[in-house]
Amino acid sequence: MAGEDGKDKAAPAAAEGQRKLDRRDVLMGLSTVPALGLFGYAWRKQNQVKQAAAQAAVAPREAAAAGDVKEVNVALLGAGAQGQVLTEAMQRIPGLRFRAVCDIWTEYNQRRVVNTLKRYGHEVNGYVDYREMLDKEPAIEAVIIATPDFWHAEHAIACLKAGKHVYCEKEMSNTLEGARNMVLAARETGKLLQIGHQRRSNPRYIHCHDKLLREANLLGRIVTVNGQWNRAVAADLGAPERYAIPQATLTQFGFKDMHQFRNWRWYKGLGGGPIVDLGSHQLDIYSWFLGSNPTHVTASGGLLYHDPATHEWYDTVMVIFDYMTPAGPAKAYYQTQTTNGSQGYFETFMGDQGTLLISESELNNPGSIYRDPNAPAWDAWIQKGYISAPVVPEEKEEGASGAIADVRESAAPDRHKVPITLTDPYHQPHLQNFFDAVRGKATLNCPAEVGYESAVAVLKVNEAIEANARLAFRPEDFRVGGTA
Amino acid sequence: MDGRRAHDARRYSHEAMHTVFEVYALHPDERYAAQAADAAFALTQRLERDLSRFIANSDISRINRLEAGEATRVGPDTLECLVIARHMFEVTGGAFDISIGTGLSSLDLDEDAFVVRATQPGVRLDLGGIGKGYAVDLMADVLEEWGLHAALVHGGFSSVLALDGPEDGGGWPLTLSDPAAPARVLARLSACQTSLGASGLVKGDHIVDPRTGEPVRGRRAAWVAAPRPATRGQAAADGAPRLAVTAVTDALTTACMVMSVDEIAALCARSPGLEAWVLEDHGQDGPGEAGLRHFGGIDSDGPVALQTGDA
Repeated sequence: MAGEDGKDKAAPAAAEGQRKLDRRDVLMGLSTVPALGLFGYAWRKQNQVKQAAAQAAVAPREAAAAGDVKEVNVALLGAGAQGQVLTEAMQRIPGLRFRAVCDIWTEYNQRRVVNTLKRYGHEVNGYVDYREMLDKEPAIEAVIIATPDFWHAEHAIACLKAGKHVYCEKEMSNTLEGARNMVLAARETGKLLQIGHQRRSNPRYIHCHDKLLREANLLGRIVTVNGQWNRAVAADLGAPERYAIPQATLTQFGFKDMHQFRNWRWYKGLGGGPIVDLGSHQLDIYSWFLGSNPTHVTASGGLLYHDPATHEWYDTVMVIFDYMTPAGPAKAYYQTQTTNGSQGYFETFMGDQGTLLISESELNNPGSIYRDPNAPAWDAWIQKGYISAPVVPEEKEEGASGAIADVRESAAPDRHKVPITLTDPYHQPHLQNFFDAVRGKATLNCPAEVGYESAVAVLKVNEAIEANARLAFRPEDFRVGGTA
Repeated sequence: MDGRRAHDARRYSHEAMHTVFEVYALHPDERYAAQAADAAFALTQRLERDLSRFIANSDISRINRLEAGEATRVGPDTLECLVIARHMFEVTGGAFDISIGTGLSSLDLDEDAFVVRATQPGVRLDLGGIGKGYAVDLMADVLEEWGLHAALVHGGFSSVLALDGPEDGGGWPLTLSDPAAPARVLARLSACQTSLGASGLVKGDHIVDPRTGEPVRGRRAAWVAAPRPATRGQAAADGAPRLAVTAVTDALTTACMVMSVDEIAALCARSPGLEAWVLEDHGQDGPGEAGLRHFGGIDSDGPVALQTGDA
């Protein structure tokens, strides 16, 4: 190992034209006046922390400027990557008080989220077992569930029955039975159950649905839809060796080993396969925008690339849905593959008068709408601010030729932008909608029944792959009858 | 010990923040090292989402839209990066300015509530001069958390952090080259637990002094090196401030492109361990004429040994 005495060797090294930079013995960049040193910001902060600690017990700090909204006591169940994204987004919603975090990976994810929340001023307790959390934290009013899919039903139902409102990540469940029981539990308890199809609360998607499609009917009759979520090859997720979860805990919570815990999406019985992981969000939008659920599904999927020892699910799938929309029949294509991320994710709705290209991303394909050259003019909608003025393809320098046309490389059709930008983190509006509903000021944008319809459509894709056949839906498949 | 050498290191690459991040690591388990690198790369993705001014719902975009009196809550990493950037603004007398003269000091940073408040409208932040270095610092914490101590991390080759060196006792071999003539190696370095930053101009580029708004002349490139403080990364998890050395060197390289020679010398003099190189550009002279000046460092026995020409 390189020594700490590198500077002593610097002279001979320098003679060979090489300088050694190996100087941990040098002070930490702090000069004689620490505040002016390179790390003076840290020195200052540490001093503040000391001062704050002295005053700490006096007045506990408010987590967020709650204003006049009723404070809601919240718990996070599942503190992995998605749980962390939701936690960050919730820091921007006023009036939330985190009470507890539950995750079986205590040394890593649970500790990380607990520490983050403490930095934000929340006094939270960490739990491994959700039942213990529900027992010991009666003040909790709402639970955010971001555990692996195969836990959703048990977790959501237990929370609802304990009298909590629930925001549950999609996919609602990896089984239809689980999803159905969640709907029934929400009905039975009268508690709120929002499913995390967050595009349903995205202002750009709402604008497209309400204004561009329903009110202005800019696309005319939508006959075809195309969409995808493509991802580049990614290695299996690992974990720092020193933070491995004890095997007994893994077994207790349904995981064979640490690899399966980290890569549960690839395992049957734990995740729902790529169509559920990636496709679910967008297929939900297909049904929403088309105004109907599908009538048939055809799908082809296969494990074309990855190692079957660690990938039980297919890695590539191509799907065609048939719809009978209020305007007439439509077909929709969707693919997801995990070997090449080209073009990322988007949805394209194609009508006889125009095309809408949209994605959740604020960076890639946030929203463009193209008018068919023979469609009625859109000037009125531009004036109303529903769409932007056309983005004119760059003109080449105008000549004085007097010709009516400059013959050249084909010009792009008129492209308009959807003038709605999401300025908040992606999941914030959907969470906001949930907490507004908890406070009685809104209705859920994706209640259990809507999440269930989406789950029915998506989980059928796996059946169609297995059966290698075109499968039919009955209208009643999308409804949950009766009570528990 | 098998005496693994720097050139035995495996390299892992990832595109983010409009550049390529790389991890060089010496670890016996290749699969484990790849997973650790992926965990580090995942951070760059998240930081880009928070720090990019090109993403409409990033923390920085929200700050850039604030009107006077408005405030927005940001993530802990964004806030820490802003605190460091503001500190570097002070340390460099405004030569490093993420607001490029639009009024950094009019932003209030509430470090307890993670809130940024604007007292004036029109502040426009661009973290291009510090974000990559900050990401490299966080990546290094992840690699060490995974037990990868013999590693080097860089973002686009301009923000470099050498952790422990290879087991042959040497450091990670690095060169400083003339951006106008990359074959011309100006210095060879061997780095351990050291951060190095570079800033330079390729033909047609220009850099503006935020203090004057004027383009800078007479500089072709600048490099800054600083020893990595020995805190080993655990700090951030406990809420203690991170000694983000690569964010610091990243910011200082930009500053060294615009600061006067006297200012750079003074900065190095009051910051023990800090070392800077400036490649001057005398316009019409050929690349061979550009002179490299050296400042600071812990060795007082003369300037760094140089190899010029096509060595």
